[in-house]
Amino acid sequence: MAAPSFLLYIDRSLFARRGKDSRAVEKRDPGWKLFGKVPPREGTIKDPKRIQKEYETKSSRAGPGNLTSPRQGVRKNLDFEPLSTTALILEDRPANLPAKPAEEAQKHRQQYEEMVAQAKKRELKDAQKRRKQLEDRCKLEESIGTAAQTWNQEILPNWSTVCTSRRVRDLWWQGIPPSVRGKVWSLAVGNELNITHELYNICLARAKEKWKTTPAPAIDTETEDADSSDRESSLELIKLDISRTFPHLCIFQQGGPYHDVLHSILGAYTCYRPDVGYVQGMSFIAAVLILNLDTADAFIAFANLLNKPCQMAFFRVDHSLMLTYFSAFEVFFEENLPKLFAHFKKNNLTPDIYLIDWIFTLYSKSLPLDLACRVWDVFCRDGEEFLFRTALGLLRLYQDVLTCMDFIHMAQFLTRLPDLIPSEQLFQHIAAVHMTSRNRKWAQVLQALQKDQERRSPVLKR
Amino acid sequence: METIWLYQFRLIVIGDSTVGKSCLIRRFTEGRFAQVSDPTVGVDFFSRLVEIEPGKRIKLQIWDTAGQERFRSITRAYYRNSVGGLLLFDITNRRSFQNVHNWLEEAQSHVQPHSIVFLLVGHKCDLEAQRQVTQQEAEKLAGAFGMRYVETSARDAINVEKAFVDLTRTIFDLVRNGDIKIQDGWEGVKSGFVPNTVHSSEEVAKGNRQCYC
Repeated sequence: MAAPSFLLYIDRSLFARRGKDSRAVEKRDPGWKLFGKVPPREGTIKDPKRIQKEYETKSSRAGPGNLTSPRQGVRKNLDFEPLSTTALILEDRPANLPAKPAEEAQKHRQQYEEMVAQAKKRELKDAQKRRKQLEDRCKLEESIGTAAQTWNQEILPNWSTVCTSRRVRDLWWQGIPPSVRGKVWSLAVGNELNITHELYNICLARAKEKWKTTPAPAIDTETEDADSSDRESSLELIKLDISRTFPHLCIFQQGGPYHDVLHSILGAYTCYRPDVGYVQGMSFIAAVLILNLDTADAFIAFANLLNKPCQMAFFRVDHSLMLTYFSAFEVFFEENLPKLFAHFKKNNLTPDIYLIDWIFTLYSKSLPLDLACRVWDVFCRDGEEFLFRTALGLLRLYQDVLTCMDFIHMAQFLTRLPDLIPSEQLFQHIAAVHMTSRNRKWAQVLQALQKDQERRSPVLKR
Repeated sequence: METIWLYQFRLIVIGDSTVGKSCLIRRFTEGRFAQVSDPTVGVDFFSRLVEIEPGKRIKLQIWDTAGQERFRSITRAYYRNSVGGLLLFDITNRRSFQNVHNWLEEAQSHVQPHSIVFLLVGHKCDLEAQRQVTQQEAEKLAGAFGMRYVETSARDAINVEKAFVDLTRTIFDLVRNGDIKIQDGWEGVKSGFVPNTVHSSEEVAKGNRQCYC
């Protein structure tokens, strides 16, 4: 609400000078005026003498002996003027120039009044918009409340019978209320691996044992082969990466409430699956689960989630299988967005450049967290296909801006998506993506490509 | 409006995880030091213009790669289209220095038929008290592989500009002498939006001025 300081500054110095000048020179044009300082118009046309008079009374009020008045004047006038108005207008011409013709003065006055009217209109609109936003938020919160009730009382108790019903699937698409999110994720991901809380505790104990016995990084590792040194250092890497996981949330860092939990889950996993170990990107997945589930349940969901074929392919960096996923993605990319696809091809922008980060972290690093959770909701419902569908939704949403960019700008844009992504709009675009190509579904396209590749050659293409 | 540049060089930044690759690039391209940053998964992209001589601008396209061993099978695909590289190690982490060999071997076996001009960078030189690698041995190693060596700190902004500009200048000289040639289907060096008739630096400067009108 306070007037910007530069405004006060200009205002004060102008008044001071004007005060002095008015005594020294009898006839003088008023010069600059603050936007908010124009007195209400009495007549239609104003002659310079009258302006002069008005000006003199004002400047004497704001003379050197009356230093506080300009500030008060600003406050008072800001009450009825649009708050955003800070510009200066030249009311009349300086003395060394010929006076404005009457019609020009009239025109300028009119223009000024129009500007003020528009500014007022704008503010009214803003106020209405704010009220609308508040109403929408209340509505949203209410609907989340009702949805949470529905999930808790109707859906969760009858999970196995209703989870595939049309109604539940529709509700699911809208986003799962945060209070039941963890439960739904757990149920949807399942526990194919039959991991129990006891098994988690055993893995954790083993991890803790290892941390204790592993001394500080050994210095003479030159003779070791790269593979084993990688696995050894993965325990070290976990420590370094934990503090780099959602750093802005300040809860996973050293001393933060979830630091030890994240450390435990990642450590336990390296003992549960030493063949996979810790891979960068995992810390983000574990962190999102921790935010929604208790530790042991988060671990169960984590291990089962990573055990899905797509996640296994990526986290084990099975390059040829990853390329197959990228090829399948490109089939649907070309089908859905042929123009953008051609533009990407022309610029040599391959899907690995943006998909690796998106798939590895399940969008939790690249999308705002609440939006990422909504993507996870439907990912739990639809499986890996939805990860690629989301990618196409994002490309579809930003199709117009991307088509105007060159390689580096596209690559930068896609690896650092805008901070504000309209979630409803994104989901509309995701919904508009067709996941069928010549009557084949995602899984069929992927399978066909896989067979194709096996037949052609087991050697990597790139 | 696109600023006029003579060439575009694609540089790749490699080295062990947490040696500070992203922080070094951020210091160079954004002029600030990020206290906290995400681990890089896959590859990140940066770009900046560098003026190596008055009126001669080079656009740098910098590929910031994931350092974890596991990601090497992904990042090795990116060597082929790079003309220059910064190979980082952390002077407070001896293992990251020992791995310099591996990184070089890895790069050399995947860059064929092209080659990459590498600069060896000892990073985090503000942490002198925790130093595990001496400047002499790093220089010796760099010399053995025909690289130059520089010590940098993203935190204190030491030699960051120098590292990138020196490498750019070296590549520029190689391009000017014809040792590195622009080729179709290779992204390492691209020529920029300067009219073919421009030869001397004065003319280039003039061309640039026009663009600012």
